[in-house]
Amino acid sequence: MSIEEKVQKYKNILSIFPNPQEKYQYLIEQAKSNTDFPIELRRDEFKVSGCQSQVWLVPEEKDNRLFFKSDSDALIAKGLVTLIASIYSDEPAKDIVSSKIDLMEEFELGIILSPARRNGAFSMLKTIKEFASKLAD
Amino acid sequence: MKKVEDIKKDFPIFNRIINGNKLTYLDSGATSQKPIQVIDEMSNVYLTHNANVHRGTYVLSAETTTKYEDVRNKLKNFINANSSDEIIFTKGCTEGFNFLANALCKDLKAGDEIILSEIEHHANLVPWQMAAKKYDLKLNFIKIDASYNLDVDHLESLINNNTKLVSIVGESNISGMLPDINLINKIVKSKSSALMIVDGAQLVPHRKIDVQKLGIDFLCISGHKMLGPTGIGVVWGKKQLLEKLDPVYGGGDMIEQVFYDHSTWAPVPHKFEAGTPPYVEAIGLGAGVDYLTNIGMDEVEKHSDNLRKYAKNKLESIDRINIIHSQHEVAGCTFAMSVDGIHATDISLMLDTFGVAVRAGHHCVQPFHRKLNLDATFRATGYIYNDESDFEVLENAIKESIKLLS
Repeated sequence: MSIEEKVQKYKNILSIFPNPQEKYQYLIEQAKSNTDFPIELRRDEFKVSGCQSQVWLVPEEKDNRLFFKSDSDALIAKGLVTLIASIYSDEPAKDIVSSKIDLMEEFELGIILSPARRNGAFSMLKTIKEFASKLAD
Repeated sequence: MKKVEDIKKDFPIFNRIINGNKLTYLDSGATSQKPIQVIDEMSNVYLTHNANVHRGTYVLSAETTTKYEDVRNKLKNFINANSSDEIIFTKGCTEGFNFLANALCKDLKAGDEIILSEIEHHANLVPWQMAAKKYDLKLNFIKIDASYNLDVDHLESLINNNTKLVSIVGESNISGMLPDINLINKIVKSKSSALMIVDGAQLVPHRKIDVQKLGIDFLCISGHKMLGPTGIGVVWGKKQLLEKLDPVYGGGDMIEQVFYDHSTWAPVPHKFEAGTPPYVEAIGLGAGVDYLTNIGMDEVEKHSDNLRKYAKNKLESIDRINIIHSQHEVAGCTFAMSVDGIHATDISLMLDTFGVAVRAGHHCVQPFHRKLNLDATFRATGYIYNDESDFEVLENAIKESIKLLS
């Protein structure tokens, strides 16, 4: 599935939930299903700056594709970073660099993607793109 | 006091429905909501009086100037200052502290000391750090004890001949702690020649203040936390002290005479107010002061104390909750909280889905959170438009949020 297709998939899922509480519950489920992050990787070098809670993103390259492990000490943020990591995982670095998707505009995620809190999700995306552009060079 | 349900009617924001719920606003520690009287008064200035203050020789300017200068008088009465010349308008409390740090520290010598407390808002910490670096001064911090109050014995041990300034919070925006300013001021003055500054950002909106009785030297006030608009605050200072201080900002309106090579200053308070002041905001604050004065600050204080007692019992009954709140008999209606195993941001996002507005983070008091080993807390603050029902909604919403997040 391409980045665009994955974004569309999550967009469809999120649109099923009528109110923010249910959307958060969906993110919480995503967070709870993300159990493979090794605790020893909760290191400063993998920390995403600009988030209110602590968020970690660890890139890995396999067969010219990038994969991201993610974690957070807050559940809703962890759900969001899990979703973002899954969108950009198993993709070639150059596709990640060239993707122009603005998740903030695509997902109706209430205030967690509103300008007030945009820094957090924006930083997650920026981190992913930075990893990808280092590899694409 | 006027009934809370009637007070609420004066605040148009309470007509909002948030995520399908009535708004439960418990973030007045960050900013208060505004009554229609403040909003109308500011509109009224723009609609019918607007002109720059102090300069025009025409009707509009005279009207606006009179309104603006009247607010000085309202504030003088509100805190029982000796003269309206002691009221200096600033952009807010933060600018107030930056002004004081710049104005007071430049006359200190290397090695002089400033005493703050461990629980100060960054506004009453960072400006002093900057001044300390510039003038080689030492900062000391009064310990906060296990009941989240100021350790007065520790304060006594910190005072010495080098102590030149003591600046402490009047009501904590974290624990609601109300230090005994009168006692602290007496201790400071009996053991040193230090000047005493109080951070009134949370204190002045909630309690009756008499600066003459307190005997302090300076008080910083935030307008937007006491029903006024943003962009306006006050520094009160004793006139004889203000007269000795040099201005920090130069420009229009603060001068007496200007030559190519030097200038002389206007009298206090104008020498501290360079440029066009936020006069509409000041007039809006005046309407806020009128609103509080009409209720009566004795009543506002009583309401805060009753609400705090009720809220404290309610919140303490919640499982897994830790409350950073003064254990003294009397404290402000402010509760910083954390729930075991749940991030403060998660709780506050979930509370929002119930229409409950609280703040999550370090509330501009990072060092104290670090001391408690806490990354973040969520905070609820009550004000004149809150009553027991708001804290009941909060209690239930916290319990529901814990369930949803566990």
